[in-house]
Amino acid sequence: MIRAVGAAEVAPAAYAWEIRAEGLKVKAGRRLAVDGLDLSLGAGVHGLLGPNGAGKTTLIRSLATVLRPADGDLELLGASVGGRIDLRQVRRQLGYLPQEFGYYKRFTVREFVEYMAWLKEMSKKDIPAAVQRAIERVGLADRADDRLKTLSGGMVRRAGIAQAIVNDPRVLLLDEPTAGLDPAQRMQFRELLHEFGTDTCVLVSTHLVEDVAAACTDVLLMDRGKTIFQGTPDDLAAAGDTSAAGDSAIERGYSTVLARTGGGRGSW
Amino acid sequence: MDEEQLVRRVAKGDRTAFEELYRLTSPWLAVRLRRRCSDDQVVAEVMQETYLAVWRAASSFAGTAAGGSAVGWVWTIAARRLVDAFRRRAHHARTPVVALHDVVSPAAEEEVLAETVGDDLGGALRRLSPELRQVLQAMVLDGLSVRETAVLLGVPEGTVKTRARRARIAMREALS
Amino acid sequence: MSGEHASRQLIGRYVLGDADIPGDELFALESHLESCAVCRARLADTAADRAPAVGLLLENVWSELEPASRASAPMPVERRWARWLATWASPGMVPWLGVSTLVAGLAWVLAEVYRNGSAVVLLLAPILPLLGVAASWARGLDPAYELVVATPRAGLYLVLRRTLAVLVVVIPLLLVCGAFLHASPGLWLLPCLAYTAGTLAVGGVIGVGRAATALALLWAVFVIAPSIGQQRLSIVLDPRALPVWGAVLVAAAVVVVTRSRAYTRLGSQL
Repeated sequence: MIRAVGAAEVAPAAYAWEIRAEGLKVKAGRRLAVDGLDLSLGAGVHGLLGPNGAGKTTLIRSLATVLRPADGDLELLGASVGGRIDLRQVRRQLGYLPQEFGYYKRFTVREFVEYMAWLKEMSKKDIPAAVQRAIERVGLADRADDRLKTLSGGMVRRAGIAQAIVNDPRVLLLDEPTAGLDPAQRMQFRELLHEFGTDTCVLVSTHLVEDVAAACTDVLLMDRGKTIFQGTPDDLAAAGDTSAAGDSAIERGYSTVLARTGGGRGSW
Repeated sequence: MDEEQLVRRVAKGDRTAFEELYRLTSPWLAVRLRRRCSDDQVVAEVMQETYLAVWRAASSFAGTAAGGSAVGWVWTIAARRLVDAFRRRAHHARTPVVALHDVVSPAAEEEVLAETVGDDLGGALRRLSPELRQVLQAMVLDGLSVRETAVLLGVPEGTVKTRARRARIAMREALS
Repeated sequence: MSGEHASRQLIGRYVLGDADIPGDELFALESHLESCAVCRARLADTAADRAPAVGLLLENVWSELEPASRASAPMPVERRWARWLATWASPGMVPWLGVSTLVAGLAWVLAEVYRNGSAVVLLLAPILPLLGVAASWARGLDPAYELVVATPRAGLYLVLRRTLAVLVVVIPLLLVCGAFLHASPGLWLLPCLAYTAGTLAVGGVIGVGRAATALALLWAVFVIAPSIGQQRLSIVLDPRALPVWGAVLVAAAVVVVTRSRAYTRLGSQL
């Protein structure tokens, strides 16, 4: 089986960073949840940490092209998404799993992932094999033809991860993907993240600091709409005072950096 | 019974057909995979995953490929599983790629399957340097994308693209 | 490639992992093997004879594969019609299409009771599709809304596809009611389509769900209520107003098409 390789496919890449934001401002409702944020993310697994209300979900939603930026520059895979351009090309290469993940209860896992694959405009002949692969990668192969309403929360979330990865995205946005997963499943999920990190730009927003430490090549700390730290997990751990709150080095680093910028004053 | 018919029967849950399909296709698949990955354990893993996927999703072949070959379908599954296996290991920095040898091109004592590859093209392929030929093999013959080829060969995507461009230029020159 | 096969010698070198096979022969051989069962069989024989490592590999794989395949069932034959249907009407829409049917039925009953049948159909026709359209894009009603909105297909194409699904259900319903209540389609079909198109056009600005609700309310307040109150059909439903409706339909269609990009941003309206 010989396949033709077109010129466009081997043309040099037009972008340096998969995700690039400058002075990004995004509104959530009336509040400016992301307030002048700068970001340059390439391939690898990037963890997004921050207190509640820091703007993490809003940031991820704007990167998923669900929310329009109010101001600033946002480029995904080299294409500027603020303006009036056609978003379809960018969206084909995105994978997104929101925090509040809704689904159709009467669908089976396979049907759900296939529906999402169709929505992502994957070519019809590729869909069945890609769906099978995605389902296997998240470890749901044995439940692939069971209805979503019969699955536990953790399995449903894994089905959500499957739909996010079915189109082999270049940019993968995961908002709290490990919610509801038991420790064994979280470890396997981390392995999956490692796999993706080799050639995909993955942004994982999470509350679980140990997930970040184990899986991420670098960490972003967000507070009140801005990034207040970007570096490796070790850098974050090194930034911690021994007297700061936290049970592990990286937790101490987290609270130190947060306190330094005036955040966390009595709020959770 | 040919492979396509076997796959259709596997789709209905016929275990005998599955075993027969394995018997007919696994030697070919094993040899082809071993030529791309020097670690037999990885090859075994990939083959298990591939045939398990064949068992589970045989009906999706019967559905889509009207006139496609079952063997080609098995290869597309295997190729992607191979790339996934390499991805898993890339993180742990243990990528078992096949080492490159310099291709010495002996003369026409070798029997050439001339009809598939024309003489000009054949000569050009022969003269390509090993890295370029590897990229061409991965993309054209194995059907992998640029990203997947990069993972398989353990080189950056930019390098894959550069080599693919050079290979195309070389081939085009040979034809002109 | 008819009639010509690879030599045993070449196959032998291939099986043994010989890295010095010339590039073009390798290409040709691998491509040929994918389509020739005879050569694959030759390869199997050669491997059995000369490459014990391969045989061992194959046995190992099968020993793991056999029990694993017993433990998992093959995929059932697809319910293709269910999947195809889902691409037209998202599951969230289905109950609301049911509600539309109920409303139409109710209207028919009322009309029978009040003997003003045709008027009821005329009054209801423009807004009946709006229930379905609102449901197809209402965040509260479509559980997978957030996911759908971030996909490439979310946009005018999907909006039109779902709207068409709604119309395919609602219009026959109205035709049936109309037949029973003597309301000729010529009177209500154009306003119905024009109002739906107008909803999509306005929806490109404020969100399709909101537009459907708002326009349905407007219709209820400015057309239905006065018509019932004054016992006289509102002027917009007069046969002479039909050309105006035609113009509205065309204008709305033009707006929708020229602003097609706006529909890819449906999420940002919320």
